[in-house]
Formats: sequence, structure tokens, C-alpha cells
Amino acid sequence: MPAGPEEPGGLPLGRASRLAVGAAREAVADAGLTGLAGVDPRRVAVAVSSGMGDSDLHERRRAGGPAGPDRWAPVFPVASAVGAWLGAQGANTCLSNACAASGYALSLAADLIRSGEADVVVAGGSEAYSRVGLACFNRLGAIDPERCRPFAADRRGTVFGEGAAVLVLESAEHARRRGVKTVYARLAGTGWSCDAHHATAPEPGGAQIERAMREALREAGALPDPGTAGAATGPGAVPGGAEAGRLGFVVPHGTGTELNDVVEVRTLAAVLGAAAPLTPLYSLKALLGHTGGAAGAFAALAAALVLHHGTLPPNVPVGALDPECEAPLPTAPTPVTAPYGLVNAYAFGGNNVSLVLQGAAA
Amino acid sequence: MNPGVNLVVSGVGTVRAEGFDFRTALGPRGYKYLPPASQFFLAAAKRALADAGPRSLEAVDPERRAAAVGTNSAAASLHDAMDRTVIETGAAELSPATAPYFSINLFGSRLATEHHLKGFNLTFTSPRVAGLEALQNGGRALAAGRARRLLAGATEQALAEGEPGADTSEAGAVALVLEPAAAVAARGGRAYGTVAVRSFFLPPALAASEGGAERARALIEDALDALGHPAGSPAPDGPPPVTAVLDGSPVGRAVAAALGERTEHVPAGAGCLEPVARVAAALAGGAGPARVVVTAAAEGNAAVCLVTPAGRAGTQAAAQAAARSETRAEREAAAQSETRAGTRAAARAERQAAARAEEGGG
Repeated sequence: MPAGPEEPGGLPLGRASRLAVGAAREAVADAGLTGLAGVDPRRVAVAVSSGMGDSDLHERRRAGGPAGPDRWAPVFPVASAVGAWLGAQGANTCLSNACAASGYALSLAADLIRSGEADVVVAGGSEAYSRVGLACFNRLGAIDPERCRPFAADRRGTVFGEGAAVLVLESAEHARRRGVKTVYARLAGTGWSCDAHHATAPEPGGAQIERAMREALREAGALPDPGTAGAATGPGAVPGGAEAGRLGFVVPHGTGTELNDVVEVRTLAAVLGAAAPLTPLYSLKALLGHTGGAAGAFAALAAALVLHHGTLPPNVPVGALDPECEAPLPTAPTPVTAPYGLVNAYAFGGNNVSLVLQGAAA
Repeated sequence: MNPGVNLVVSGVGTVRAEGFDFRTALGPRGYKYLPPASQFFLAAAKRALADAGPRSLEAVDPERRAAAVGTNSAAASLHDAMDRTVIETGAAELSPATAPYFSINLFGSRLATEHHLKGFNLTFTSPRVAGLEALQNGGRALAAGRARRLLAGATEQALAEGEPGADTSEAGAVALVLEPAAAVAARGGRAYGTVAVRSFFLPPALAASEGGAERARALIEDALDALGHPAGSPAPDGPPPVTAVLDGSPVGRAVAAALGERTEHVPAGAGCLEPVARVAAALAGGAGPARVVVTAAAEGNAAVCLVTPAGRAGTQAAAQAAARSETRAEREAAAQSETRAGTRAAARAERQAAARAEEGGG
């Protein structure tokens, strides 16, 4: 757990808030914004999501832990904690669309900048262990007792992970004006949709996740050409040249739950067409577990780093793939020279968001 | 962004927990196992849609319909009960019917299923401002062309007995139907007026400092400026009256001290419902003056909502305010335009053109 006050100003922080502040501290320092140097705090917004927020504070109390203050302690002060630490005075929002939450937070951050409401947005997600969350997921039969192995033939559900992922977003012009040395990626496209189908199960036809993917790819200008390869992994791949407009990789939602994985792979095949077998997936949850409301931000952060370094890290081996989830999951480092990466984040309630990131430099 | 979308509120629905019977409000079957906050919001939405009249939603494709709900405590008492079950008897005793509701975004998911809301369905949880954020972020998403109809509001359920803050619990829901003014006019509907929200953050430590009230005043003035009501602007009736939903925290006290004499002070509860209820009341009050609803939380989150009843929309002052707001939005959008790729602008233009086509040019 990152060092820091547990009760700044007498307001107790749970694990999710403390994780968020820890990740924000790293991101803000990396962006050269420590102390909000050179920016107007009123133009700095925070959008940090969480599915369960600081539930642990309440769970500890129920289990006989410290009673805490006698004032109302809202469950979701996660973005507030970041804002209070940073001194940011712009919009400050916690969006809690379960496992899609931080994908939406990043998209919302872009909208805040585009609409002129903020110059800089500290955005991401944070999730910590919740006894209630884990017990309910287990009651729904959605927990794999062994490990998180998305797309594997013998997967039996997901496994939760804890953590926070935070990114600093600003317009390219704003970054140039303040002399930013490192730009990791450009958020080039976003797509939202809702299955409106079932409380917990994905819509088996995948119509709405397909719409979100296509919308994000279309906005980014990254829709694959029909009948052509999508991944620039071959020796002839030329950044910005013949391969421009192509998708280099996908960070899928891929939780390890049975139907979700099948529907996502099937829909990716429909969206990418002939490029699908050549477009590698980076299955992050096999490495971290499912970080819930932080999962979309972890995926986007990973995608930004893949584009920045030009390498897809090795996937964690998960064993034989489900024949219905056949997708490239390379277990060795893979060069990526195509300009775009696709990130998917889905949630209970049928909430879907897709993001397309594009390689960019300062 | 499309600041010219001109959303109006065409339907208002409110539900109070006292005397609420889901069988009467929703129907005898299919709602028994929904948690109260979900029932409240479904019922409020049903009333709002009935109030808006036929074809308020159905005029557009399901993929152009959306929802945004704010809540702080919808899941709190359920979490409390489920956690005590886990602690006292074990996770196997959890009800599979209510287990999915560990995830707070589930409280709005049935709404999406019943009304085929496939555009998006967002859940905001920021302390006390989440309901106003649902209006703010939902409206921005419609301006960005992500949907054309919005159900937005807040829902809360009382905290468990003995929970800190339970004595100020909120329970009930408010839902508003928002759609383009042209669409309301085209179907002969009634427009209550417009709502516009700007949120900001007052760091608690800053609020508690000597300059806390002055900073709060500056942030509120910024918000009103952004909403088209700059401080000192000529208005025939003077500055708009203010309803302030605040607590006794340093943040609440700083905001209260920053507000003028024409302020109605309302004690804040343990949730985000009251500010939205005050917005609904201002709209339903008919052609009175424009009103500002301000709220803030001890954690630092704050929001300002300008409510302009339809009767005022034709007045010179309101027209001037609307023009200023649009001019500002256009200026901000123009300032950002160089950061957008042509494909992004084209994609958004296409999305908005498609939306206009759905309206028959409206």
C-alpha cells in the first residue's frame, strides 16, 4: 500500500482511495506536473473510477474493526482523494460502471478536454479487495478457484486483482505548450454502448460490443481494410507507411468467464475480418487478475506502453485455448509497428466501452 | 461537441420512499427481488416518461437512447446485510437474486433493459454531486452525439440503522427526460426548461483555510460564467436565487459563506438525491425565475446547476444567457479544435448528422 495519510483532513481513506493516490502520484510526477507546476488548478480535472470504492472501510467496521468517525462516510471518495491530494479544482468525478468504469473515465476525460472544461485530466481507476464483492461473485459461480486464465479451455471464471492505474490526459497542443518531453500515446477513438439485455450475462450475439468497437475504430480512423492483415508484426511492416490505418493489437476485456470470452473473440473476428487471426491479443487479466473498476485503465495504460515501446509483452500461458476462443496470444515478446491498439472493457449491466490508442510522440 | 443540441427537460418523475409500493408503482410481477433504490429509479423514470408523453423515447432507435444515474448509497444497506450474512453464516447463504447488486451500476441496469437504452448507461457515485453529475455528463455525451435521448437523475436508499450518517439518510429517486427542444416541439410535447451543470472541486484543506470562502466564491463564479450567468451581468431581476444543499463540513461552510443573500439553505443528507430533487422542483414550479442549485460534500466535490424554466427561455435575459453560453462553448471548442484529427471531427460530424437525420432535421 502506498505511503500516505489514511485520514487527510479527518476524512478516512480506504484501500481503493489510497491506491488511487499512489498511482496518481506516479502519473503526475511522470507528466512533470508535481505540485501542478505551471497549470491553473481550476483547469485540472480528476476522473478516477471504482466499482467497490472504499467498501473495505465499512467492512472492517462490521467485522469489529475501528468504528471510524461518526459522520457519513460515502463509499466512493476515490476521485475526491486524488483531487484533495493534488489540489486539482476542476471537475472531479467517480464513475462506477463496474468493470467498464475506468474505460469510461478515460473517455470522459477526453470529453472534458474536448468540451473545453479542462486542460488536464488525471484519469483512471482503482479497485481493492471487498469481502462483499468477492462473496457475491463467488455466489454467482464466477470465480475460478485456480487462477485467471482468459480464453483457456478449462477456465472456470475470473480471479480478482487489486490496484490502481492512472494516466494524465491533455490535448496535444497543451502538452506542446508546456514542453512535455514524453508522450506515450494518443487517445484516438472511443465507443460506448449498453447491451440492455441482462443484469450479469453478456448479450450472446455481441451486437453492442461490436458497435462500441466499430465506433472507436471509426473515430480513430483505424478500421482494418477488408481482406487485409491487421497486425504489423511481419518484417515488412512500416510505421505510418503501408501499414497505416491498421490495428496492431487488442487488449481484450477477457475475464476468464465462460460466455464473455467467447462473445468477445467471436465479435473481434467479425470486426477485424481477415485481420483477426493476425492481430495479437495481450490478455492482461491473466497477469494481474481482474481489477474490476481499474481494469479498463490498466488495459489502456498497457496499450499506451505497447505503442510507446513498440513491443507486445509475452502473454501469460493459460494452457490449451477454448476452440471457441481461438485468437493469437503470443507468449513471446512481439514487435508492434502498426499505429493503433484497441482496448475493450465490459461490465455487469451490459456496459461496454472501447478505446483506440494511437502511437504518438512529443 | 455540439453545443447547439439545446437539450430540454420534457418529463419529470419523483418517488419518495415513504408509502412506496412497488406493486402499485411498477406492477405486481417481476420487481419483488429488485433492491429498493432500483425500484425507486424505475418508478421515477416511468413517471417521467409518462409525463413526457408518447414517443419521447420511442422516436429514436434504442442505440440512441441512454441513461445516467447518480447514487451514493443505493447499495449501502444491501452491502451491510450481505456482509453480515457472510460474516455470521457464510457466503453460501447469499441470495443469488440479490448477489449481482453488490455492483452499484446494477441499480440502473433494469432501467436499460426495460426501455432498451443501448446508447449508454452510466452510474456516477461522487459524494453528494453524483446526481447533478449524471445531468452534466449525460448532457455532454448527448452533445458529443453519443445518443439523442437521456433519462437522468438520482436514486438513494436509506443507510442501515446505526451506520454513521443514517440519521440523515435519503431514500427515493428523481428522474428527468432530456431531449432536443426541436424534438419536443415536433411531437407537441411540453418543455419544462433547461438544466446546465458545472462541477468543480474545493480541496478540503483549502476550504478550511482562511481563504476558503474566497476560493469557493471564485469557483462558483467560474461555474456560473461557464453556464452563461457571469457575475455582474445585467439581469432584470438581479442575480438568480440560489438553493444551497450543504452540510456543516469545512467545504460546506466555505461554499455557504461564498453565496449571496438570496440563498435558500437546505441541509444536505447522506446522498446525492436532494440537489436533483431541488432541480426537479425548480423545473416543475413553472415559469418562475431561473434558479441556481449548489451542492458540495465534505470530500470537496461541488456542483452548480442553472435551472431555466421554459417560461423564462423566451425572455431577453435567458436568451442572452443562452447565447453567451453557446458562444463560450463554441470558443472553447474552437480553442481545442486544432487538437482533433480530421477523422475524429468527421466521425463526430457523421454521428451528429445521423442524429439529426433521426430527428427529421430537428
